[in-house]
Amino acid sequence: MGLVTTARVKSPWIMHFDCGSCNGCDIEILACLTPLYDVERFGIINIGNPKHADVLVVTGAANRRNARVLRNLYEQMPEPKLVMAVGTCACSGGVFHQCPNILGGVDKVIPVNVYVPGCAARPEAIIDGVVLALQKLAGAA
Amino acid sequence: MAPGLGWLVGVPVLWPVLIALLCLLLRPYVARAAVVLVGGGVLIAFSLLVYLQGPFTFTPPAVAGMEWHVLLTVLDFALLLWFLHAALVQRSLLAIVFTLAQLVPLAYWEFALHPQVTVEPAFVVDYLSIVMVLVIGIIGSLIWFYALSYMPRHEEHLHLAQSRQPRFFFYLVLLLAGMNGIVMSNNLLWLYFFWEVTTLCCYQLILHDLTAEARQNATRALWMNLLGGTAFVAAMIYLSSAGRSLAVADLVAKGGALPLVLPLALLCLAGLTKAAQVPFQGWLLGAMVAPTPVSALLHSSTMVKAGVYLILRLAPAYQGTVLSNVLALTGGFAFLVTAILALSQNHSKRVLAYSTVSNLGLIILCAGLNTPLAMAAAVLLLIFHAISKGLLFLCAGAAEQELGTREIEAMAGLAARMPFTATIAFIGMLSMLVPPFGMLAGKWAAMEAVAAAGSGWSLAAIGLLVAGSAVTVVFWAKWMGRLLSQGLPREKVAERVPFFFALPLAVLVVFILALSALVGPVSAGLVLPGVSAAYAPVLGVTAAALILPDGFFPVWVLGLIALVGVILPLAAVRVRPAEARPVYACGEHVAEGERFLSLADSEARLEMGGFYWAEFLSEGKLNFWVNLLGVALILALLGVSLA
Amino acid sequence: MTGPVFLFVLAVLTVVLAPLVGGLLFGLDRKLTARLQGRVGPPLVQPFYDVLKLWHKEKIAVNRLHLVWAWAYLVLVIASLLLLVWQQDLLLLVFTLGFAAIALVMGSFSVRSPYSHFGGQRELMQLLAYEPVLLLTAVAVYFRTGTFLVSGILQQDRPLLFSLPLVFAALVIILTIKMRKSPFDLAACEHAHQELVRGIYTEYSGPYLALIQVAHWYELVLVLALIGLFWAHPWWAGVLLAVAAFFAELVVDNSTARVTWPVMLRLVWASCLTLVLANLAALYLIV
Repeated sequence: MGLVTTARVKSPWIMHFDCGSCNGCDIEILACLTPLYDVERFGIINIGNPKHADVLVVTGAANRRNARVLRNLYEQMPEPKLVMAVGTCACSGGVFHQCPNILGGVDKVIPVNVYVPGCAARPEAIIDGVVLALQKLAGAA
Repeated sequence: MAPGLGWLVGVPVLWPVLIALLCLLLRPYVARAAVVLVGGGVLIAFSLLVYLQGPFTFTPPAVAGMEWHVLLTVLDFALLLWFLHAALVQRSLLAIVFTLAQLVPLAYWEFALHPQVTVEPAFVVDYLSIVMVLVIGIIGSLIWFYALSYMPRHEEHLHLAQSRQPRFFFYLVLLLAGMNGIVMSNNLLWLYFFWEVTTLCCYQLILHDLTAEARQNATRALWMNLLGGTAFVAAMIYLSSAGRSLAVADLVAKGGALPLVLPLALLCLAGLTKAAQVPFQGWLLGAMVAPTPVSALLHSSTMVKAGVYLILRLAPAYQGTVLSNVLALTGGFAFLVTAILALSQNHSKRVLAYSTVSNLGLIILCAGLNTPLAMAAAVLLLIFHAISKGLLFLCAGAAEQELGTREIEAMAGLAARMPFTATIAFIGMLSMLVPPFGMLAGKWAAMEAVAAAGSGWSLAAIGLLVAGSAVTVVFWAKWMGRLLSQGLPREKVAERVPFFFALPLAVLVVFILALSALVGPVSAGLVLPGVSAAYAPVLGVTAAALILPDGFFPVWVLGLIALVGVILPLAAVRVRPAEARPVYACGEHVAEGERFLSLADSEARLEMGGFYWAEFLSEGKLNFWVNLLGVALILALLGVSLA
Repeated sequence: MTGPVFLFVLAVLTVVLAPLVGGLLFGLDRKLTARLQGRVGPPLVQPFYDVLKLWHKEKIAVNRLHLVWAWAYLVLVIASLLLLVWQQDLLLLVFTLGFAAIALVMGSFSVRSPYSHFGGQRELMQLLAYEPVLLLTAVAVYFRTGTFLVSGILQQDRPLLFSLPLVFAALVIILTIKMRKSPFDLAACEHAHQELVRGIYTEYSGPYLALIQVAHWYELVLVLALIGLFWAHPWWAGVLLAVAAFFAELVVDNSTARVTWPVMLRLVWASCLTLVLANLAALYLIV
């Protein structure tokens, strides 16, 4: 692994976007930041700005109302960038998948690199997902 | 030799009178333009000739059997009677009182007491005068040229039946005659006459548009300046009745009789009114209603600079007195509070006005410190302030005519809309607050001086100086930021700049850059000779740096830093279209980030404004206390002189 | 030992070494902050990972001017540091550092982004709070040593701290603002995890965010060196003093909440200006 790739793997800044989740997954994501899980030890920082982010973490199903926002945010992230769909809704639309306003999983709007299922996804699973994402990054680079 | 010197005094003082009369008589625009251009060119040439001549003295011979002082006395009283007329027309009690307070004692003194009013030599030109003559002649003339483009557009905007430009140019040009007279006269009585000429021109120019606001502000300017004139008259009568000469040179000469502090304090008071220091700042702020060339002239090279000149001129006389210390505090106080008042202003010319008062306060602070270094700092500040402030007013005027408003908020993104004007304005503002520009060299010298003064008084002055400096940075940065505020890269806008706007702006910005780079030679050639007449030299100078025993201002190194830091990236950094992204607006941006989707998907424009801290810092909240303290300081100034 | 070659070598060494020290201090900051919060925290070299990653991200931008000011900020901060190591005039150092702050603010105003503008206005408020204190510190040092030149200050045998304790205290308070620490981190805090968007930095991304980050490293070294100047001989005492101040800031950062700008202005001006002027008055009366 080259130095730059190492740096990328060691410093994934995430941006969390709630597409309309029930907040179950959101709370689990925030739990990752607490002393118990402390994702900052992997260099992970939760950052609220697409222009600074490396990983877009999306919770909730994509719907007609917010697909535009999701796409906008994704386009404002500089390359290289990854998208993680966290929770069943983000992966496939979940229990909402037949609702008239729901498009389905996040991948209906933007390309997704890692799917983390679960309702809600556990912090361990989310961290695992990030690690998987970073492996993809290392492999891709 | 003698006739040559006569030309060097005569042309700067009388030539503008001739030009003014021609402007009044010639109605066609082309004729006026030609006269002003030739007149300005000659005035600039003679300013340079005065500089090349170096210091000299001159007494004009009687012309056709008539002594000059007789003519001046006649004109003096004509002027005062005219002021009385104006005061009655405007129904201003204060103006009437202050005119009578000059007229009656002056008449009694001159006609009943028969004082010795002639002075040999009548004109003394030293390097301080030469600095002023250069500033007045060059910057003043450039502002005349600017007015040639400004006034027709201004009148077009007002839909006048008949052009009032002849009258306007008459006073605009005459003002420089008065100024040159002030800085060259050695006779206090003559200086007083020229002093009142500038008051007259100032009043007429502020009044020019004849709106209700213009009348009100012109009247205020009139009575405040007449108050200064009254102090001037009182000082002259006091000096004369104490058996002293009316020669400025005798007043400041070392080793003579002990200085009389009270007349000096009165003359400083006159200077403070003219320099619009607190509590007299009102007239200068009111002067904003006048067309922009007037503001530019009043603020940069003339009028307020006359007040500062008088205070600087007299500095050796009151050296070592308590008066000097109180003067330093008065200046420092104005420096700080007017900078604070500028924070809450959204009106471009008011910000500039407050900044003028503030910087003049700084110069007066230096004069009050009264050390050789402080005096050098004062003259440096005077020169560079004149250039930068003249430039900024001209830019504000150009922007105002284009935008139709004087609001700073309306100038948002001017860098993209009016690149030429905005760039020059930006350089002008930057020159007020960052190294390596000359203003900073002056501020650096001022701080070294105030620290080295090392008295209990200077401790208070230090506090005012550093706080004022920080506030100054904030109000300029706020405005500069407004100019830059812009969106994604666009196609270049071609700005249409009238020739007589472009010429003075370009010349002044070149002056700023060149004189800042050459601050060493400027100090050696103009500033130090101007100061060392009465003070021991203290500032070391090389081509590339200013040197003190305990400080070092390597202007070229600082210039290099600015070059590498700002100019180089400006030339090198590019943004390709593929790299451009709109600003972050929570993912709701549309139209390249200029708008965002708001309630019910309606598009709203992204609006931004500066902070103005109105609830803390508005004029309404502060003015009472500011003026109260200002009056207290003025009273203290006179009080310590009585003791 | 002050020939141009020596000065050049000194400059090169400073430009190379200062960010290494600064970056490690930032890493230490994050590690210790994590420990104070009962977390493990990132590795010590985390800031270097961050900057390296940012430097190799895609370059995106709003407009050209915005980027120009990021460069200007970096260059001007480095220039201020060089003025210090070249032992130049302290006043000019403060002016140049002020220019750097203005450059950062100009950058924030160069885009039409409300977040960026808010950050810029607040940064200006911070500048308003600390600038007079920095200038007064220079004046106080002059009162004590009779010179503004760093070279002259270094010739003093007795530490400045002994005669300027209150000025030192004021400088430590200012350090909180310069290090962007609570309670005075209102423009944008150094740790990125507290806010939704990041004021001045909002529109900077990738390589240009890296530039600003590196500039912060230089700035940290500079302000700590100024602190160290208060006990210049022996040199390790100065280093200890700076390190102590640095740790004090971390503790303060983790035990206070952010204040609003009027509170900051009142607190800083009231406390620092009083401290410095009292110290000056004492010097004036005693000496």
